[in-house]
Amino acid sequence: MKLAARRFPIPFMFVLLVACGPDEPVEPTPTPTTTTGQLKVIVRPTWNGAPFVMNTVYHNVSDYRVKVEGLKFYLGDVRLVNGSSSSVVKDVEFFDLAHNGDTVLWTGVPTGTWNGMQLGFGVPQTLNDADPIVYPPGHPLDLARGTYWTWATAYRFLQFDGRYDLNGASTGAPASPFSMHTGLNACYQQFDLALNGEVTITAGNTSTIVLDLAVDGFFHTDSDTLDLATENQTHGTDLPLAQKLTNNAVHSFSAE
Amino acid sequence: MILLPVLAGGCRKDPAVVQNDVDGPFLLELPQGFPSPPVPQQNPLTQASVKLGKALFFDPRLSLDGTISCASCHLPDRAFSDTLALSRGVDELPGMRNAPSLGNVAYHDALFRDGGVDDLERQVIAPVQDPVEMAHSLQAAVEAVSEDADHQRLSRIAYGRGLDGFVITRAIASYERTLISGWSRYDRYRAGETSALTGSEVNGLQLFNSAALNCSACHSGFDLSDHSYQNVGQYMSYADPGRERITLDPQDNGKFKVPSLRNVALTGPYMHDGALATLSEVIDHFASGGLQHPQRSPLMTNFALSAQEKSDLIAFLHALTDERSLDQVP
Repeated sequence: MKLAARRFPIPFMFVLLVACGPDEPVEPTPTPTTTTGQLKVIVRPTWNGAPFVMNTVYHNVSDYRVKVEGLKFYLGDVRLVNGSSSSVVKDVEFFDLAHNGDTVLWTGVPTGTWNGMQLGFGVPQTLNDADPIVYPPGHPLDLARGTYWTWATAYRFLQFDGRYDLNGASTGAPASPFSMHTGLNACYQQFDLALNGEVTITAGNTSTIVLDLAVDGFFHTDSDTLDLATENQTHGTDLPLAQKLTNNAVHSFSAE
Repeated sequence: MILLPVLAGGCRKDPAVVQNDVDGPFLLELPQGFPSPPVPQQNPLTQASVKLGKALFFDPRLSLDGTISCASCHLPDRAFSDTLALSRGVDELPGMRNAPSLGNVAYHDALFRDGGVDDLERQVIAPVQDPVEMAHSLQAAVEAVSEDADHQRLSRIAYGRGLDGFVITRAIASYERTLISGWSRYDRYRAGETSALTGSEVNGLQLFNSAALNCSACHSGFDLSDHSYQNVGQYMSYADPGRERITLDPQDNGKFKVPSLRNVALTGPYMHDGALATLSEVIDHFASGGLQHPQRSPLMTNFALSAQEKSDLIAFLHALTDERSLDQVP
């Protein structure tokens, strides 16, 4: 009772005593202790360092004129790390850059100070192989998103669509379509990102991480180039191209 | 005393879920020698689930424009296959492959001609959402059929919930599991009724099982298929990669699941793309040994048949027709 007296004001105690009667011991409900915070993740696309705008004609590394018309992808098994410790913060998330960026808010993120991230580009196999019917509306894996390959019972990890023109000096809208959709478990690729400094998750509060995504990097890495002249279509059949694009995409991320 | 009737009324079952003639398990009738098909523990066959599945199977509201049902391409009188080489979906759009028979599909451990889907429940999603088949989203299809009071009633009995994507995929899968075929004259012959086959058909059976033709190397077992994936040398370059599309292994290029030969006289046109119109053309292809595709099955060897032998073989294949409907649901 001393403990209860310290926690509850006297008028409130009276109400409790009257309601329960003298023979029923009163066990005060402990106030829930929040041990998690929230993490806002902003994906900010760029092209050659400048803000990326969907449906804009850019020049890629091959000096082809490129207009990106759609860019959607999954990140899976996202962890915050600090040295040898890590904590899973999200099993899978869907990003659609139709509006030149995307922002999600993750709840239940363990508190702590973190200086890096581990991510998977795509849908982790356990989720990819599961029956998609179980995911409710709004879930990243909800069938209504149209990201599920029904013929393979697997999700499209990346949908990268647009048009290109091999003549970098021409004008007008690029006409040739490219459509590269990667998926299947063989395309899932894990990668690490170092944060620019640290992010601290505190109980009940929201912290922010910005993921910069260099869309121009989808067409090249330091050692390899994706040539739209010959590499412009993959829908689950051209695994080498799908894996090259996945690798390029992974190397296009950086974190703030 | 005033409260009692209220309580009693509150505890009474929802009228929509009152037990009736569709309550209880669905007892699958199996032909002699057929094992019990695997049925997921989470989706047992019940009278209500199977009846709902049948109703949905024939319901064109699952398609975007309300014109295409599962039965549009899986015709009951064709052993649930199609008469077109490539089935037509909404707006008469041609499908990618020839619609296979659904007979004995309960025994398949992978669905579609490339085996890309592991279970019947998930298979249901594919035609509903395929842009050249029903061209719908599953959610929109759910909304389209949700107005049906009888569907809703069966859904609550079978699954304890209203119609949703979960129910639709489970119910149609349940109905498809009941499409068992094993009551042909060939089956009666195997059971000892020697008069069930004519002399010509018996000759055809012997040819079918002969080492020279080697048909039974793949078309074996109670379903007359080992459900393996084979490249039969139909093309030198396959527009459809077949099994390779799923495994991404070039060794699987041009390989398709060996179809059951049950009801084969009803399921033409044949091959994954319906390119061969008649059983005669199919036999000619296999007699040729097929084209020398790098992945052609080593089981493909050429053979010669006299006109009479070919006629006998075709007669035997006709004897695989199940005289009764595959549909066990009244």
